[in-house]
Amino acid sequence: MQQLLALTAKDLRMLARDKVGFFFAFIFPILYSSLFGSIMGGLRSASKGIDVVVVDEDKTKDSEKFIVELEGLEELKVARADKADAQDMVRLGKKRAMILLPEGFGRARRQMFGNPPHVEIGLDPSRLAESGILQGVLTAQLYKGVQRMFSDSAAMDKQIDESLQEIRASKDMDPATKMTLTTFLPGLKTFMRSLPEGGMQGGGFPQPKIEQVDIMRSESHPTNSYQISFPQGCIWGIMGCAAGFGITLVVERTHGTLVRLRMAPVGRAQILAGKGLACLITTLAVATLLFTVAAFVFEVRPSSYPMLIVAMFCVALCFVGIMMFLSVMGKTEQSAGGIGWAILVLMAMIGGGMIPLAFMPEWLQSISDISPVKWSILAMEGAVWRNFSPAEMVTPCAVLVGIGVLSFCIGLKAFKWES
Amino acid sequence: MLHLKNLRKKFGDNVAVDHLSLDIHKGEIFGLLGPNGAGKTTTVNMTVGLLKPDGGGITINGEGSPEDPKVRCRIGVATQALAIYEEMSGEENVRFFATMQGLGGALRKERVAWALDFVGLTDRRRDKASQYSGGMKRRLNLAIAIVHKPALLLLDEPTVGVDPQSRNAIFENILTLREQGATVVYTTHYMEEAQRLCDRVGIIDHGKMLALDTVDALIEAHGGESRVIAKRAEGNVEISTSDPLGELQKLQATSTLQTFRVEWPDLEHVFLNLTGRSLRD
Ligand SMILES: Nc1ncnc2c1ncn2[C@@H]1O[C@H](COP(=O)(O)OP(=O)(O)O)[C@@H](O)[C@H]1O
Ligand SMILES: [Mg+2]
Repeated sequence: MQQLLALTAKDLRMLARDKVGFFFAFIFPILYSSLFGSIMGGLRSASKGIDVVVVDEDKTKDSEKFIVELEGLEELKVARADKADAQDMVRLGKKRAMILLPEGFGRARRQMFGNPPHVEIGLDPSRLAESGILQGVLTAQLYKGVQRMFSDSAAMDKQIDESLQEIRASKDMDPATKMTLTTFLPGLKTFMRSLPEGGMQGGGFPQPKIEQVDIMRSESHPTNSYQISFPQGCIWGIMGCAAGFGITLVVERTHGTLVRLRMAPVGRAQILAGKGLACLITTLAVATLLFTVAAFVFEVRPSSYPMLIVAMFCVALCFVGIMMFLSVMGKTEQSAGGIGWAILVLMAMIGGGMIPLAFMPEWLQSISDISPVKWSILAMEGAVWRNFSPAEMVTPCAVLVGIGVLSFCIGLKAFKWES
Repeated sequence: MLHLKNLRKKFGDNVAVDHLSLDIHKGEIFGLLGPNGAGKTTTVNMTVGLLKPDGGGITINGEGSPEDPKVRCRIGVATQALAIYEEMSGEENVRFFATMQGLGGALRKERVAWALDFVGLTDRRRDKASQYSGGMKRRLNLAIAIVHKPALLLLDEPTVGVDPQSRNAIFENILTLREQGATVVYTTHYMEEAQRLCDRVGIIDHGKMLALDTVDALIEAHGGESRVIAKRAEGNVEISTSDPLGELQKLQATSTLQTFRVEWPDLEHVFLNLTGRSLRD
């Protein structure tokens, strides 16, 4: 036991002195998580507010009201300008899109049954992706006007009268349509009067409603981007530990200290256990440090601390096994380091350690099951924001421990005690 | 103390150690002398249990095989390749390996200080091993080997790459250890070292023990004749003889000697006569 502790202490001491190793195990993951978290956060708030410039050529109360409504939307950041300036802003990339309200917009919007309100959108061609969002936002907003009218009978009456006048005066309208509308609209007026006060709101016809259906349990959303970036960063730190300790086993072999240890009256199992224990402790230390920083600096509050501890432990065990596996990957420090990192980076790539899994193509997502990084992130997220129940935690944890044991055994089998 | 009997080891088709037998007595410094690739390191590694022999037996101090941890506690080895942690200080290295040997507490503290003092590294004990010179690293390697006061000490080419000053310090250390009762096996391909240090020397080549005796006896038996080289007024002479003193007297009687020197046979000659090759090939 004394020997085991001395072996572990020796490895921890050497890690503490190895500035590069220490940096990659402890400092890099914090930088990574903070940076990625803020980039992701930035992306999200940017997509929340698309920068648009509105040109009001209608200049009526109605168009002004519409603009004020747009300004109140979370999805848009609204500026105003005249048409020429607005076009320049979009062309120069200062604004993402121009929304032009042409003359007659206000009137058209008030009238439901005449010409539909008409809006022009001028988009930065490199931002095609945002045009969909923008159209959705504007359509919803225009529709809201209609909805409001239905809920107010007096406004409705006025509307219908105005529309009727216009329809009767209109010369270019198809006679059949004209006919239908002139009979239908007075009927609608009568119908609206028969409704109780408050119009149709809450009763009457079922209103079309688009609802987003969530597969997540209620409240289990990442509420801040650091909840995603810290589990990811944690994986990088832990991979740094696995690679680092794997390499020290190679170094011990090439530098002869492994031979010297074997000549001491300690068993081989103890020598490897000392290495494994040092790796386990460091891995847990990395995870603890990261989640502490995450909690105190970035307000990442895990939904369950006991679950997080279980997850961290399983992840650590898994990577101790991987460390053992990596230590047989090369004869020299350089080759072991190179091959080891190549394997780890690949694991991270397909496991969502670089780009969150949700953003990856489907075929990649489907093979990500073979990557311990995927399961590690899942287990940690399970405890941080996915609200995993103990039963749901079993799968990732069992997979992690399984991968750990398997790679440890493979490593042990292939382990060479002499160079 | 140490008995090797008919040790055999093959690496593929390459016979590294070939039916090697030897008996090492308690308290002696035994030299294993042979050129590179002779099988010295392989022999040492088998002796300490790092390599499994293909055949033959090893007994240490009548206690059994070196695979047994109890037996290994009584052995100290300084491997040919340095085996130290460069990122740790000299003291940390010695203390760590002392712990590995099962030492602890006050005894460990005392032994670590003794071992460091013994190899002359006390002043530099807090410095990282990576800042040591080659000779200091060798001395640290030796301190680690002796910290648990082993009864049997195996030193595999401990002076390779060492400056003359460190080399002398190492020799002094080894002689002191013998005085303190240790048995030392010293392998080298420098015949001067074997000659200077060892009570008995085994000459090994291609894994075979060619001859084993005290240095004097080996030279007597296999060294051949001495050479007398003299400068006279009449001209220079070189005479091979087993009686250089007699030859000198004869020369002096017949002519005026200006200078002379006698080249005594050494282990180099022994090796040459045994194998037809020089040690340094
Ligand atoms: N691990 C090994 N694998 C293959 N051949 C080896 C190995 N170790 C030593 N040898 C061979 O065994 C012979 C003896 O080597 P060694 O004992 O190291 O010689 P020495 O120490 O006397 O220089 C050499 O021919 C060497 O090439
Ligand atoms: Mg050798």
